Amino acid sequence: MSKNSDENQTPFGGMDLTDQDVQEAMKAIPGYLDITPGDFKELYRNAYRHAVERISRSIIAKDIMAKDVISVRRDTLLHEVAEIMGRRGISGVPVVDADSRVVGVISETDFLARMGASGPKNFMSVMATCLKAKGCITLPIQAQTAEDIMSSPAITVTEQATYAEIARLFIEKAINRAPVIDQQGHLVGIVSRADILEATQATSCKILHQ
Amino acid sequence: MLRNYFRKMQGTTKSPPRVQWPEVFWSWLGGFVGISVVATLNQAVLEGTGQILFIASFGASAVLLFGALKSPLAQPPNLLGGHLLGAVIGVSAYKLFPAHLWLAAALAVATSIAAMHATKTLHPPAGATALIAVMGGEKIHQLGYLFAVMPVGVGVMILLAVALLFNNIPRNRRYPEFWF
Repeated sequence: MSKNSDENQTPFGGMDLTDQDVQEAMKAIPGYLDITPGDFKELYRNAYRHAVERISRSIIAKDIMAKDVISVRRDTLLHEVAEIMGRRGISGVPVVDADSRVVGVISETDFLARMGASGPKNFMSVMATCLKAKGCITLPIQAQTAEDIMSSPAITVTEQATYAEIARLFIEKAINRAPVIDQQGHLVGIVSRADILEATQATSCKILHQ
Repeated sequence: MLRNYFRKMQGTTKSPPRVQWPEVFWSWLGGFVGISVVATLNQAVLEGTGQILFIASFGASAVLLFGALKSPLAQPPNLLGGHLLGAVIGVSAYKLFPAHLWLAAALAVATSIAAMHATKTLHPPAGATALIAVMGGEKIHQLGYLFAVMPVGVGVMILLAVALLFNNIPRNRRYPEFWF
């Protein structure tokens, strides 16, 4: 392994150990240590990677999800859905049936997609359409309910899904949140990208202070 | 390919830091006590009997036991297992090829390394023990497999006893790290 690739493969970025750090740490331990600083760094990196993997596996959806999750019913009118999302400052909400089983998810994108925007389904495209239009462009969906525009089936995770699995799911499916369901399919929480980010931060703190 | 081969000879890291002076002192004292005990016993008990308790590889063991006592190489299973394996393998190698000392010597050392690795008892001085069994002359050859008992077995037991008693006296030292 060349020195360069060695440096690039560390999981620490600019936070990696220097030879100086290792030398100082070795000096702090009385007695002769039968290991080279190079071997120590390699050991440290490998051990660190194992710790990250272990802790990633030990963090599950249940630990990081928001429990006071807001949901809407299939038949909730869209203006109510929009109102709820606006008031709570959330960009997506699970849709549940009468038995509180998750049947879909509504996100801002689902709204934008039905507001006549040409091209990409984002806020500015809608704005552009809006500025050119005479009336309100929400007219076509005014009388509709959650069921009509939700993304379905919902991409959900179980309470036992690991942190790493959820992160991978978010990337693969290009989603920002996933409802968490129990074994019967009932909504018990929601995990968002922010929760993943927070768990990442907590994980590195946990490893460093163990 | 070739460039990489030569580049590997440059090394990749720096040497570990030098130990503190107290450590130098305790290592010196440990080495002195360890070797003097074995040497004194050798003289007092065995003089005139033609027996020996003392072989050169104990000097190498003393380096580990008193100078690098935290090293896995210096732990009791390595000290005992390594020397016993080296002794038995060395004697066997000589018995197999008494007329080809170079072959017996090479086999003794190489096989000792392999056997110690396989049994997790790597102890470098035991390579010397194996070599002594082959190259140590008539007196050693006459001992046959008794070489593994005396001087090797008894000698390393004494060294181990001294290491245990001595290394746990200084506040900053402890020995061993593990027994198994």
